[in-house]
Amino acid sequence: MISAKGSSSSTRTTLQHRSEPRRISVLSPPSLSGSNLINDLAKLRQYSDLLLTLSIHRIKVRYKQSVLGIFWAILQPLSMMLIFTFIFSLIAKMPSEGAPYAIFAYTALLPWNYFSSGVSNATNSLVSHAQFVTKVYFPREILPITYVVAALFDFVVASTLLAGLMIYYHVSLTVNVFYAVPIILVVSCFALAMSFFFSATQVRFRDIGVAVPLLLQVWLFATPVIYPLSAVPLRWRPFYVLNPMVGVIEGFRQVILRGAAPETRSLLISAVISVILLVASYLYFKRVEATMADFV
Amino acid sequence: MIDLKFDCVSKKYRIYQEPEGKASENKLRRVTRRLWGNRNDFWALRDVSFEVERGEALGIIGQNGAGKSTVLKLLYNITAPTKGRISINGRLAALIEVASGFHPDLTGRENIYLNGALLGMRRREIGKKLDSIVDFAGVSAFIDTPVKRYSSGMYLRLGFSIAAYLDPDILLLDEVLAVGDAEFQSKCIERIKQLRKAGTTIVFVSHNLGAVEGICDRVFLLRQGQIFRSGLPRNVISEYEHMLTNMPASTPARLISTAASSAAAVVSVAFLNSEGRKTTTFATGDEARVDVEYIAHESVDDAVIEIYFYSIFGNLHTHFSTDVDGKRLDLAPGRGLIEFLCPDLPFEAATFNVEASIRRRGSSLSEHLDYKHAAIVNITKGKAVHGAFHSPHTWRMKRMERDDDKTVVKNAD
Repeated sequence: MISAKGSSSSTRTTLQHRSEPRRISVLSPPSLSGSNLINDLAKLRQYSDLLLTLSIHRIKVRYKQSVLGIFWAILQPLSMMLIFTFIFSLIAKMPSEGAPYAIFAYTALLPWNYFSSGVSNATNSLVSHAQFVTKVYFPREILPITYVVAALFDFVVASTLLAGLMIYYHVSLTVNVFYAVPIILVVSCFALAMSFFFSATQVRFRDIGVAVPLLLQVWLFATPVIYPLSAVPLRWRPFYVLNPMVGVIEGFRQVILRGAAPETRSLLISAVISVILLVASYLYFKRVEATMADFV
Repeated sequence: MIDLKFDCVSKKYRIYQEPEGKASENKLRRVTRRLWGNRNDFWALRDVSFEVERGEALGIIGQNGAGKSTVLKLLYNITAPTKGRISINGRLAALIEVASGFHPDLTGRENIYLNGALLGMRRREIGKKLDSIVDFAGVSAFIDTPVKRYSSGMYLRLGFSIAAYLDPDILLLDEVLAVGDAEFQSKCIERIKQLRKAGTTIVFVSHNLGAVEGICDRVFLLRQGQIFRSGLPRNVISEYEHMLTNMPASTPARLISTAASSAAAVVSVAFLNSEGRKTTTFATGDEARVDVEYIAHESVDDAVIEIYFYSIFGNLHTHFSTDVDGKRLDLAPGRGLIEFLCPDLPFEAATFNVEASIRRRGSSLSEHLDYKHAAIVNITKGKAVHGAFHSPHTWRMKRMERDDDKTVVKNAD
């Protein structure tokens, strides 16, 4: 033990405090096996404080030196809603199943924006944190996750405007609003799945960074955001609902605007696809992670 | 008790060569070449096995490219081995390029939490150590200021302090002792010695041979991805120095511009001590002689021969030049030897990269006829230096006034 003189006393206490048992870790060449999944998740849990710190940091930094600050979280979906309302309600007559087009579009834009901003920010997360990735060890999936968490935070903030719109248009809530929780959970799973896949691939192929914004734009039109699901021809539906965003967006609208329970079948399809993709892309991510630092 | 174990570990890097930008080439072929073709494999480590006992301090030395940083990266799990297994018993923390995880917009305090979390600490744990960290770094007055307003010294000190207070079971060190001023450096060494006494296992990778000798129990010399020697620090270090001294000066390590002109070239550079023996280790204040052998393929009028001393981080410490101190030099075709004599080496104890060049007077510094890496010179503690360099000087007492009897003692001059 070291002597307890002056400034070294703090050292002594900290050294004595260590009571947790030592953990043996084995590092070996990367392999794609499911048995590592439990290990990886345990590691992620160990680093939950980093996940928390980085997520808070992400939210803080994003709005720190901007004048409008947190209102940007509302302004983004709001401006898209105004544009869509102008085009599809005043110029082209888009069916909106009886609801005022503004709120019809906004209810879909909320989960859509959560998904698309989460995925597009997360895609660059590893590349933009090259200095962390090449210098410090931590479970890398934390980086894309924090962007999805930040997007979820924006979603919650932007929801306040939805509440305002509902009061303005006299849309009343029913007990079915609680279905929104599993729906958002499914969106989160799917957003994470896409984030893991794109961010890990982006490390080797920077093309992804260019392709993802384009993909998301196309994806927006392949999802019932600006139009209702009922406008899609029946014979296309079986394929159309394979897009996991269809079930959740339509479900969210159903729950909020019509106060009804969501259609179980399409929501279930979304949930199953999302979870399968999440597991697959997480395994892929961990495989790529092993040598990520050599390429980033 | 074994804390670290490398079991036949190899690490391969793929070096991709971008296909030459031929516009006529088929796009598809370029894509496939990018995906599958044109790779060169480079084995940074080959079948390396070793064990480190609990509480032992292991030093790893070797030239750039020998695989030192690869060992650290593998230990720290930044990248995975290509073959073999590494077992680590306990919590491992690394001091590799501290402060790389700082965010400029956040305050010192917020950055401590962020960096601590990056190094795997819990928030609660960081909170407990916050005061020690801030004290050690000496930034308590600025702890709620965004770090972008910090001086670079404060920045680095804070980074080191966070890692120094992690209290890991195993500590990886990489050139961290170059952080901050002399006072902070000695504090850092003190802290490392404290951790050692407390039983922390240490792996120290450095070019600072003096520090390696001071801290470590055992040293490895890595060469081309393999353990070339291992043993007591003194023995391995002197073998390494011997190896460096006998390396021909034409090592292509940092060849910069020889192709442009072949009028003259540096053939070899030899360092000799006061007894005329070849060495690359000197103490501050020692006499040193440097013999620069050149070859001139044509006559070079008004040539300038220079010796550059760079720190291991690439900062130019000084350069000695015949342009500044010597006579006019006209080289006739053929070989020649020019001697540089320094009666009193002014450097602090450190390791220097020495490079030599030949150029024409009046040419810009980038238009060397030849410029090459000469040697790694290690300066050890000799004459006491507090600061950056020693300068030859003398002292004389001129006047002394005593307060008690007001007698004035005058120097007899």
